[in-house]
Amino acid sequence: MSDYLHIQNIHKDFSGLKVLTGVDFKVREKERHAVIGPNGAGKTTLFNIISGKFKPSSGAILFRGEDISGKSADVLNRHGLSRSFQITNVFQELSVFDNILSGVRSRYGLRYHFLRTPARNRVITEKTETIIEKVGLTGVKDQPASSLSYGQQRALEIGITLSTEPELILLDEPTAGMTREETEHAIKMIDQVTAGLTLIIIEHDMDVVFSLADTISVLHYGTILVCDAPDKIRCDQRVKDAYLGEG
Amino acid sequence: MKQKSISLITIIVLFAAGAVMPAVLKQYHLNMLTEIIIFALYAVSYNLLLGYAGLLSFGHASFFGLAAFATAVSITHIPGLSIWNVILISMAVTTLAGFALGGLLLRHKGAYFALLTLAFNSILFAIATKWHSVTGGDDGLSITRPDLSLGFTTIPLASLTNFYYLTLVVLGLAILFCWYFTKTAMGQTVLLMRENEDRMKFLGYNTNISRLILFTFSGAVAGLAGIFYTFHFQFVSISAISGDMSTAVLLIAFVGGTKKFWGPILGAFVYIILQNYLSDITDRWPLVMGVIFVLMVLFVPGGLSDVITNFWHKFFGKKDDKDGKLTTAEEVRP
Repeated sequence: MSDYLHIQNIHKDFSGLKVLTGVDFKVREKERHAVIGPNGAGKTTLFNIISGKFKPSSGAILFRGEDISGKSADVLNRHGLSRSFQITNVFQELSVFDNILSGVRSRYGLRYHFLRTPARNRVITEKTETIIEKVGLTGVKDQPASSLSYGQQRALEIGITLSTEPELILLDEPTAGMTREETEHAIKMIDQVTAGLTLIIIEHDMDVVFSLADTISVLHYGTILVCDAPDKIRCDQRVKDAYLGEG
Repeated sequence: MKQKSISLITIIVLFAAGAVMPAVLKQYHLNMLTEIIIFALYAVSYNLLLGYAGLLSFGHASFFGLAAFATAVSITHIPGLSIWNVILISMAVTTLAGFALGGLLLRHKGAYFALLTLAFNSILFAIATKWHSVTGGDDGLSITRPDLSLGFTTIPLASLTNFYYLTLVVLGLAILFCWYFTKTAMGQTVLLMRENEDRMKFLGYNTNISRLILFTFSGAVAGLAGIFYTFHFQFVSISAISGDMSTAVLLIAFVGGTKKFWGPILGAFVYIILQNYLSDITDRWPLVMGVIFVLMVLFVPGGLSDVITNFWHKFFGKKDDKDGKLTTAEEVRP
């Protein structure tokens, strides 16, 4: 069986600044893959390339055997890939319901229709309600996103990511800025909502990483230092030197 | 459900009120009301760009004027053309222009987009001025309104009352469709464009296509208003495609308020009525309009619809609103 997702020797230069210098790793189907590494290692840039925000300078991304590198974000989303953002990136003035609805209706092809009203489509609204419930925002579903607490906005960010029913999910530091309690709550939620899906997650919080991931890639100065199971990573001398240091 | 029946009642009441107007109003005022409906549709089409998509255009008269000229030119050059075919030809011209122009201009956003629309409007204005053989240049084109052929009968539109009814029905339905459009998938996608264009892409939306569709649609609707503008005055001059006409629609939308669908409709009432009365009093009415506009932007940036909504909430709405929220929360619990 061929690999589900194969990141092949990805390079990215920003006008001379080499951010990624040959990133190479594989993700199996339904794997939970964490990408860790110090600030500036290029984690978000890597996500931006996989999700279609940037084009790689060179290299390929094979998704189910097809090279998807350089495809635009909307096309990739329709291929079943969805991502969240490190800095909350939602539709601030719209209600929680409309935020989630925007992705659900896109999944059902109701993007540019001139006559059909998505809010009256039973299947779509029920799907929307289900996702809102999954991320625990049912009580505030009619409130505008801008009125939500930080923790709720982060939950909404994940809800929007799920709304197009992706099979491959990229989460960029979903627990950034959360309190310990909020983080624990968020991990539990992420664990539930991504069950059965393939997950790639960027995280700084090692508790999150070790409790969620099956495989960990350590990104260091634009290249993958090591890619292995969590317990192996914990003991790896190179990782300790580069990143886990204090442990 | 409740909201839906309120909307339905409002629509029926408005159309019914419109239907009895010829019995109530003098010819002069009926004339003014016809003009208001035309400008209301023009402003509604503009607000789809400004209020709903957050796209500031300084060249909306490109479409309004293009359709106005297409109407006059086709009536002048093709004898015996029915009113429906005139509308069809002019709408087709405007829609194509919107599509072509949209494809060119939508690569840019914000100030660049606004300036490009302004530049293109100026080009069209220059063409209208210089291409004397077709557009009549500074003299404009005079036409006679064609009669309304309905197959089984023909209604003469020389009568103002008959033309008023045609305007009420056709443009009223167009405004209604625009309102419905804001609820549709495409209409809601327009809101996403305003709120967060970047995030839309990651949800499977092609933002260029979204903008192009909206721009073309908005242009076509402005075109329909332009067609009736020519019908109404039985004359079209270069002012229909001028920068002044683009500014007028901006003013109407701002005075009425861009946050509500009905804001620009209210704006059209205020603008046309003020313009009529002020121009009776003084030749310097544009100055007075300008001052009103400046004051509005400074002190009531949300426009009249915002003032009315706030007033309503303060004195009538608040309690209902609270109750409404409670019921939704209750529905949610079990």
